[in-house]
Amino acid sequence: MDIRRFFAPTAVKPVVQKQNGNHKTDEKKNNSPLSSDEEVKKRKKETTKVKSSKMEDKRKNSEKKRKKHAVIESDSEEEKPARKSKKSPKEKQKTNKAEPPPKKDPVQYVSETDSDSDNFQSLKKSSKSKQNGTTKPTKSDADSARRGVKEGVKSPVRTSSAQGKTKVKSPSVLATPKSAPPPQPKHTPTSVLDYFGSTTVQRSEKKLVVSTKRKAQTLDTDELSDEQIAQQLQLDEDMELEKQVHEDEEFARTLAMLDEEPLAKKARKGSDEKQDHTASQKKSSPSKTNRKDSMSEDVISPSPKKDPTSVKASSKLAMMKKKNDEKDKGAKSQTPILATKIKISPKKEPLASTSSPMKFTPKTATTPTALKTSPKKTESEQSTSPNDAEKKKANSTAYRNFLNRDGPRALGSKEIPKGEENCLEGCVFVVTGVLESMERDDAKSLIERYGGKVTGNISKKTTYLVQGRDSGVSKLDKAESLGTKIINEDDLLELIRTKPGKKSKYEIAAEAESKASKTRTPPSQTSRSTPKAQKISPSKGNSRSPHTPSPSKTGLTQGHRARTEHGRTPPGRGSGHMARRELGLSSSTSPSSAPEPSSPSTTGEGASLLWVDKYRPQSLKAVIGQQGDQSCANKLLRWLQNWHKHHSGNASKPAAARFGKFGGGKDDGSGHKAALLSGPPGVGKTTTAALVCEELGFSYVEMNASCTRSKNSLKEVVAESLNNTSIENFYKGTSQTVSSKHVLIMDEIDGMAGNEDRGGIQEMIGLIRNSKIPIICMCNDRNHMKIRSLANYCFDLRFQRPRVEQIKGAMMSLAFKEGIKIPPPALNEIILASNQDVRQVIHNLSMWSAKDKVMTYDQCKSDAASARKDMKMGPFDVCRKVFISGEEKSQMSLIDKSDLFFHDYSLAPLFVQENYVHVRPAAAGGDLKSHLVLLSKTADSICDGDLVDKRIRSGQNWSLLPTQAMYASVIPGELMRGYMSQFPTFPSWLGKYSSTNKHSRIVQDLASHMGLKTLSSRQAVNLDYLYYLRQSLLAPLQQHGAEGASQTVQLLDDYQLVKEDVDSIMEISMWGGQPDPYSKLDSKVKAAFTRAYNKEVHLTPYSLQVVKKGRRGGGGESEQGGEDVEKETQESEDEADGLKADAMIKQKKAKPTKESKKEDSGKGKGKGKGKGKAKK
Amino acid sequence: MSLWVDKYRPTSLGKLDYHKDQASQLKNLVQCGDFPHLLVYGPSGAGKKTRIMCLLRELYGAGVEKLRIEHQTIVAPSKKKIEINTIASNYHLEVNPSDAGNQDRVVIQELIKTVAQSQQIQSSTQREFKVVLLTEVDRLTKDAQHALRRTMEKYMATCRLILYSNSTSKVIGPIRSRCLAIRVPLPSTEEVCNVLTSVCKKEGLLLPPELAKQISEKSGRNLRKALLMCEACRVQQYPFSVDQDVPETDWEAYLRETANAIVSQQSPQRLLEVRARLYELLTHCIPPDIIMKGLVRELLNNCDGHLKTEVAHMAAYYEHRLQLGNKAIYHLEAFTAKFMAIYKKFMEDGLDAMMF
Repeated sequence: MDIRRFFAPTAVKPVVQKQNGNHKTDEKKNNSPLSSDEEVKKRKKETTKVKSSKMEDKRKNSEKKRKKHAVIESDSEEEKPARKSKKSPKEKQKTNKAEPPPKKDPVQYVSETDSDSDNFQSLKKSSKSKQNGTTKPTKSDADSARRGVKEGVKSPVRTSSAQGKTKVKSPSVLATPKSAPPPQPKHTPTSVLDYFGSTTVQRSEKKLVVSTKRKAQTLDTDELSDEQIAQQLQLDEDMELEKQVHEDEEFARTLAMLDEEPLAKKARKGSDEKQDHTASQKKSSPSKTNRKDSMSEDVISPSPKKDPTSVKASSKLAMMKKKNDEKDKGAKSQTPILATKIKISPKKEPLASTSSPMKFTPKTATTPTALKTSPKKTESEQSTSPNDAEKKKANSTAYRNFLNRDGPRALGSKEIPKGEENCLEGCVFVVTGVLESMERDDAKSLIERYGGKVTGNISKKTTYLVQGRDSGVSKLDKAESLGTKIINEDDLLELIRTKPGKKSKYEIAAEAESKASKTRTPPSQTSRSTPKAQKISPSKGNSRSPHTPSPSKTGLTQGHRARTEHGRTPPGRGSGHMARRELGLSSSTSPSSAPEPSSPSTTGEGASLLWVDKYRPQSLKAVIGQQGDQSCANKLLRWLQNWHKHHSGNASKPAAARFGKFGGGKDDGSGHKAALLSGPPGVGKTTTAALVCEELGFSYVEMNASCTRSKNSLKEVVAESLNNTSIENFYKGTSQTVSSKHVLIMDEIDGMAGNEDRGGIQEMIGLIRNSKIPIICMCNDRNHMKIRSLANYCFDLRFQRPRVEQIKGAMMSLAFKEGIKIPPPALNEIILASNQDVRQVIHNLSMWSAKDKVMTYDQCKSDAASARKDMKMGPFDVCRKVFISGEEKSQMSLIDKSDLFFHDYSLAPLFVQENYVHVRPAAAGGDLKSHLVLLSKTADSICDGDLVDKRIRSGQNWSLLPTQAMYASVIPGELMRGYMSQFPTFPSWLGKYSSTNKHSRIVQDLASHMGLKTLSSRQAVNLDYLYYLRQSLLAPLQQHGAEGASQTVQLLDDYQLVKEDVDSIMEISMWGGQPDPYSKLDSKVKAAFTRAYNKEVHLTPYSLQVVKKGRRGGGGESEQGGEDVEKETQESEDEADGLKADAMIKQKKAKPTKESKKEDSGKGKGKGKGKGKAKK
Repeated sequence: MSLWVDKYRPTSLGKLDYHKDQASQLKNLVQCGDFPHLLVYGPSGAGKKTRIMCLLRELYGAGVEKLRIEHQTIVAPSKKKIEINTIASNYHLEVNPSDAGNQDRVVIQELIKTVAQSQQIQSSTQREFKVVLLTEVDRLTKDAQHALRRTMEKYMATCRLILYSNSTSKVIGPIRSRCLAIRVPLPSTEEVCNVLTSVCKKEGLLLPPELAKQISEKSGRNLRKALLMCEACRVQQYPFSVDQDVPETDWEAYLRETANAIVSQQSPQRLLEVRARLYELLTHCIPPDIIMKGLVRELLNNCDGHLKTEVAHMAAYYEHRLQLGNKAIYHLEAFTAKFMAIYKKFMEDGLDAMMF
């Protein structure tokens, strides 16, 4: 049924179209040297007819809604391949076959309108396709024939459009072609859609202007070259578009926001909605497809150039109303869909109308334009599903091969040719396998150097597949299926050598723009140059911001528009409307497209500003990377919004909320009175905070590092203001009540340091506790010691670096506004070099562009490399990077490698030493023997590093550090480079070192305690005594249990050890995690031992206090006297102070007996001790 | 109840069990009335300290045995307080300057000066000099040793130094030349056996000579160790049997296991395990050179032919570097890795040779 319908109209169409086409071409031929005024007039007439027949159409429409539906479906198949991917290719092929011959001339006209309106719909001005349409009349037959083929691809749309047109002209005539297919006697429904399409068309006058201009431009003498350029441009943009498709909606929305034409977009949206709405009224089941169809129906709209003004004027009011209605309902939910749709749709054109016929033919043959991605998908699905197991096996072997494949064999063996500038522009490459003479990265940069683009995966856009050794099978298959040209490395070099260079599209754009600005002053000349500017500027912006001409340009377009307006039938109305529209546009831009100063006056001011300030986002939506619903900015917004709700004064509420913080899964920060924004510099923390406050109508006081923020000053300045209420609005008259809506922003709170701001953080915490207004704190390092305490009281919001694409989009539009020509790959380099720091990217752009507005890839790359932001790497990253293998390593110079060491020269060698064993070196190739040899060599090198380290540390020879870097980091990295099987572990040396020290102290204590008895050095005690001492200490306890306790205590006393020393001995004589034999003892025995020990007072010849070993077991002796006691003990014997001895005896009962034993070792301590004690 | 090793420590030169001629020489030295600075060195467990204490007793009589531990605080020029323990009698001062780490120079300057500057009061009845006993001289920093040079000469009149170390290799030449070097060698196996037997007799035990020999060999003629082992044997089992298992210290057992681990398998994983074991040894304050020695001894048992010399050479090389370097574990591990590589190669080559 569908297919038949495809055929049917085409068969009839030629007749009708021929009329049109002939008519048109005649006209055009006449008008060609001049402008297209006459033609425009003619079309206008047609459109007025459309208007008049509107009501009729509608009525008819409702009658035949069912049939219309069918038609719509058939159309939608073309437009939306995703839905019916499998079916459509067949249909398409058939239509291809059937249609091309009859079409030729007649279709040309259609194609023109088609492409125009299509563009219009997508809001992206595809200059080329338009040119195709416009140039056709002037061009040769061959050209038109080719186009005919193209048209065939789009047949359904076109046919319907043709029908629409014919109908518009004469409804009666129209009936005949439509009725040709038996099942559908009438095809009027399409005309209704036409009608709707035309209303949409009229909305964006800008587009219209462009198209007319293009027409004028085509009349230029140098049109051919321009056209080529434009085609080139289109191609490139399509690539970008393709990329965009993969990006997320947020990004798309950002871009849309950044665009200068929100109004136009809205209008279009509104119209879509309207169609939807009307359709739903008429049809029983209005579906999304309908809406999309209707959009595609836009395409069909008869010569958009003519209708817009007239139709617009009439239906404007109704439209506006509807728009308002619809916008509220559907706008939000449908925008993303629309956006994607918009992106996809224009792709169709460039493919169909590729500049070179060579490329063009295969593409149309193999890949039906509208099909886009869906066929690919189905293919792959089919291929994977049948025999999974086999595939898996193959994959695993392939992967193994991939792991084992070595680098280029003949590195640098081939001379890299010097091609012409931008000779590869517009070509998309995919490199697979290993190239013989260069690393893949080199190849990539070479291609990019000449304007080409390298992607990872093959898509339809891919022009060449560069195949190397061990190339991936899947890629080759895909390339074959897509008809991509497969070349090898030599071909690539040859390509560079031979391909003619062309001017970069950016340069062209730049020239065009400069030309445009020159010609702006004399308006009479504009007809020639402005079209070009117009053509190019939108196409450039196409990728992201279609309609963002700088203010000057807007003015220009306006003028031009006004001029073109004059040529039209209802000049007064149209131009008036135009003017208003323009006004509305400019006024509406200011809030939504933030970075753009919309009026010329602001640009004047902006000239003196830094770009960073000039393009500071003016609305929350424009902050890069903060568009998501869960983004920090939105969280902050919600938090601030609900702040007063949560903290409305009664003390009980915050407490409850705080409980929620622990219990509830979702943390919206309601329990916190302050928010803490943390993140790297240049991601927009301050901007976000300020914008959030603005958005919610809070006034804010900002304190940053330049203010003194010590405890006292905080107390004085801030504490007062926290309890204040703002009367700002009251005075301004905007608010009747005194508002309490203000915020304290503490910027750079981690800068609260040093003597100036002492106690600042603590005071801050106190303030937060009692604050009656929200406080927003900002810092860079969330984990800083000082911030940690503060963070407990704050709603924690961590800002991440925006992704490269996010920055890139904004930067492209910025560059465009500033008139900088910078190729996207170069911009990538710049962004990466600054480590995704938006601020720095802008600064760099501003600096480098000061010299030259046109930046080349090479220049940017070198600049970016020299400005590469030093990235702070943690020791784990450093360690990982030391042993990293593959491309990244090969890129690093020796200096880079040794720089890794200098990230932390005291820690890096430890990390290397700790982790080199975990690395599986690539050089060993899995051979254990060579692996061991490598390990040994690495260990040797690390030892050398250690020797150097010793020299450095002992002799302060810090100049030797680079030497150590070589030994301790670079050489091990080179030897062991390979795959690290686990996350780098933290060096255990540090822990072991400290425990060694601890044990050493213990041994020293023990040795000194036993010193009088053993006369041995520390080492002897450790190596010889300890084990046996432990044995003899434990033996009685183990053998006799509690009875043995006294024996053990005796031994302890003999060696002048205290109870704590027993624990030390046990601790130090534990080996390999074996349980300590003392702890294995029965607890009763242990208790008995402790009791036995505590029963007596133990005297030691050393002071316990200084050693800090803890107190003497049972002695109540005062610690302070300890030292004196020892000293005096010895002397007291000689002095033999009898008087004191009496006092002593009274105190100590058990001691004398014990002490007497010690006499043989020459220590008559007993008396002396007692004396000392008595003294105390 | 002390351990035998301390219980039966001889207290006078005459009671020493071995190196008797050296003892008589020392006695003669003392009887001359004056004696130069001494540098006593010898391996651990040879009886250096015992000999020195006997010498001091010979000099000053029994009063020298009244020891006390003093805790001294010295303020360095940098206002840093250094705390150090000393053992002193009325006649001598024993100090281990290396306890103070890098500040040992200050300790030597201050302590020796204070001791040397105060003269003996009753010089008529006693010697006119005091003795300062410096232990572990080989661990002194070069700075401290240089500080010692001048002090030795300047206070010669009131102070004699007895330096005490395990080896003279780290003592600088000028100091060696100022001292009378006395080497106390390890006792021979027979001497150790004699001592063991006599001690057992005093304890009322009967030690079979075979066991005595076994103990003395196992202890490496370290008399202290031998006595401790002997006592441990006693605790373990009495009456002694001839083929009794002599208990060895746990660190020795651990070290042997480590060496066996190296020999039994050569792989990166094993290297990691060995590293962990080496760390364990080091954290127990086992000196790295002793670890190295123990490793090599065990490893050599498992090597043959020219591999032995190679391993020995390697060990010497790494041990030397170990002394030069900071972090012992690096060098021990490098030695292990090297051994593994060589051993693996050797074994596989051997296998190949056998195959063909």
